[in-house]
Amino acid sequence: MNHPVPGALGLIVAAGLTLIPSAAPASGHLPPVLRHRFPNGLTLLVRENPAAPVVAVSLQVKMGGRWERPEDAGISNLLQHVVVKGTARRSAQAIAEAAEEIGGSVSASGDTDYSELRGTALARHWKALLGLIADVALRPSLPAEEIENERRVILSQVRNRGDLPFPLTFDTLLASLYGPHPYGRPTLGQRQTVERLDRARLLDHYRRHYRAGRIVLAVSGQVSGPAVVKEVERLFADLPAGSEAEAPAPPAPAAASARQVLERPAAQAQILMGYLAPSLAGGDYAAVKVLTTLLGGGMAGRLFVELRDKQGLAYSLGALYPSRAETSFLVIHMGTAPENLTRAEEGLRREVARIREERVTPKEVQRAKAYLLGSLAMDRRTNARQAWYLAFFELAGVGHEFLDRYAAAVEAVTAEDIQRVAGRYLADPTVAVLKPIPK
Amino acid sequence: MPTSGPPSLHRPTRLVLDNGMRVIIQEHRASDVVALHLWVGVGGRDERPAELGFSHLVEHMLFKGTETRGPGFIDREVEAVGGRTNAGTSLDYTFYYILLPARQALRAIEVMADVAVNSAFDPKELERERQVVFEEVRLGEDNPRSSLFRQLYTHVFPGHPYGRPVLGDEAALKAATRETLRGYYRRHYAPENMVLVVIGAVNPADVSAVVERTFARVPAAGYRRQPLPPPPPLPGVRRHVVSRNEKQAHLALGWSAPPLDHPDVFAVDLLASILGGSRSSRLNQALRERGRLVSSIRAGYGALQGGGLVSVSAQLEPGDLGKVEEAILGEIRRIQTEGVTEVERRRAITAAESEHAFAIETAEGLAYAYGLAETVWRLEEELRYLERLRSVTREQIHEAARRYLPVDRYAVLAFTPPGGAR
Repeated sequence: MNHPVPGALGLIVAAGLTLIPSAAPASGHLPPVLRHRFPNGLTLLVRENPAAPVVAVSLQVKMGGRWERPEDAGISNLLQHVVVKGTARRSAQAIAEAAEEIGGSVSASGDTDYSELRGTALARHWKALLGLIADVALRPSLPAEEIENERRVILSQVRNRGDLPFPLTFDTLLASLYGPHPYGRPTLGQRQTVERLDRARLLDHYRRHYRAGRIVLAVSGQVSGPAVVKEVERLFADLPAGSEAEAPAPPAPAAASARQVLERPAAQAQILMGYLAPSLAGGDYAAVKVLTTLLGGGMAGRLFVELRDKQGLAYSLGALYPSRAETSFLVIHMGTAPENLTRAEEGLRREVARIREERVTPKEVQRAKAYLLGSLAMDRRTNARQAWYLAFFELAGVGHEFLDRYAAAVEAVTAEDIQRVAGRYLADPTVAVLKPIPK
Repeated sequence: MPTSGPPSLHRPTRLVLDNGMRVIIQEHRASDVVALHLWVGVGGRDERPAELGFSHLVEHMLFKGTETRGPGFIDREVEAVGGRTNAGTSLDYTFYYILLPARQALRAIEVMADVAVNSAFDPKELERERQVVFEEVRLGEDNPRSSLFRQLYTHVFPGHPYGRPVLGDEAALKAATRETLRGYYRRHYAPENMVLVVIGAVNPADVSAVVERTFARVPAAGYRRQPLPPPPPLPGVRRHVVSRNEKQAHLALGWSAPPLDHPDVFAVDLLASILGGSRSSRLNQALRERGRLVSSIRAGYGALQGGGLVSVSAQLEPGDLGKVEEAILGEIRRIQTEGVTEVERRRAITAAESEHAFAIETAEGLAYAYGLAETVWRLEEELRYLERLRSVTREQIHEAARRYLPVDRYAVLAFTPPGGAR
């Protein structure tokens, strides 16, 4: 429903920062988390948050791109799409309507290290929301016509991604950076794989992954923890126990350290430079987060100051370092006018060289830490984000309280650490460039 | 300073300073973050032909330093303490926000006041920022969805200020000088044309004390915003096809709709929601789920101060453009003939209630809603919004569908791959 807001139609022109999808510290105001492990292996996390009359749920399954073989790429995401399209009791439309009756929504998607079913509702309907999530998680009917419909939607998203300059260049970079490792493949899948997935394979994929030991359920909102435990126990009693054996480890990433150029009709050139970077559990995680922020965090990050403020070379630019269970990546990126391409790429390379060679000042490190932790505190304020964070870190094996430890680790990062991790990780870039050609 | 009521945890305090500036304060202790918004009644619609894009360029320049604060002030005063800031420009307004830990809030009000009236407009900074804006224009062109909406406005409001591009006109932006830009800023950034919103873990009395020694000292300028002519009605179906390099086609239909102050806004809001605002909406069920004709479809209502726009937008295969447009019109005719059901009406109201409940989870959600309403509407209307929505009847929604969605007067915009137009 659109509140009568002009901006809702996309007319707002923002000054535009590319924010780092980051993780970071604990805000002093967050209420405690109740953690409960049921006998079948299901883990439940509840945060009672009285701030607003709403509730959010994130159910995350150990299933996603990381465990997919090349010939199955995209299966987790397609399965997730179909899971919310019909159960033994409800049609797709009945699910959508049931969610809307409680002032909420239920949706699902597959990602790299997890797949998620998420839901929101007005807090007074929390039981109905949990009931709906349990119904789709436990009794999906995977109707054949819904599989076809969602396949068509995903194929159209795949095509659409190929039309958008940044995502296209980004996907090209990751493929080249990871080589045979599954992180190099988009979680949407590819046209050839998505076209071939059938109901039997989806059902098999569902049965292998939707097991209590592979699932974390997180709830945040105006709810009572003990009441949620009781309700979840009743609703999820039929979830198959256990977690099945892990698939064999995927092949190690093999960065190409090459420079690839795509030629496409576009108004802007895109330049992306990528490096392999530590996993979530790796010892350098916090230091590389601070390094990423120094480069690309906010309007005072080095890339913004040097390349946008001082040289006016770009509107969008930044640095990305997502949290990954296995070897992650650090990507710096920039969109610029075609005639600036060479200058912009040189500028990016110069900033990387500078941070490797010159020790940053303690003041700059302090600023980056404050920005990083401040952004995290702000991102953690909605119930949907709360639920997501809780489930994500629990499922990744570092525990839902990971962020508290992480905040302390960020505080401990020094200027020497920055130079050390910059030297270690920002060595040979893998580069992907989109070079505009006339339309 | 007259106030509209005693401070309360659930209602904002509204102050009108002697110079005409309005200040809205509300305590919100869900976290220790404070949202500080400055809203200015200036946007694309206020620009003369030689000023196209000035509102937006001014917005960029305000981050580039004041007479006493150098270009790095954002770093020192906001990001270094864990805060963030950004801004946006639209047709009716420009807004700036600073989001930061509560203990820094009072200082940030001083920064905001400085930015609002003492911006430096350094010529060197202007030169660079102009290039940044051109990059922003290119970025928008590469994104079909943002291009689609920007162009739809020009076709629904041809020749009207709402039909102008907020990002401006290349010639006007190139010709902008420090003097012309600063003149524009001085003219529009008058206290009578500004609203400050402070929401978060603050004490309202502390906030008004800082406001008294900052914003309240700016002299009144006697500013009155130019009224807008009403948008001319569309004479018939206006069709525009743009060939682009994407493989997917995009389609948008737009109707001229009532402005914010109109009594029908509530009915039109519910109508857009029932038509295409959710998964269970008519268009989504008919065209995406049953008809399999589109990969996504949405209807929305954008109410502006002097006009409004109902849009339906879809992503589809190029070969289906004609079929999809016909199917959208078919669903509209069906609502016009049969009206809507009580279940649909109730569901749309619940969706609005829920959207509101989620918006107030954060201080900035509230600050945005209050700042927008005070700038282009009235704060009181925002506070009564849900109540007004609940009182809308099925008959009123039915009537709104007949009045505002004529199937023979609308604008159509299609983006198609090369050779895909038909």
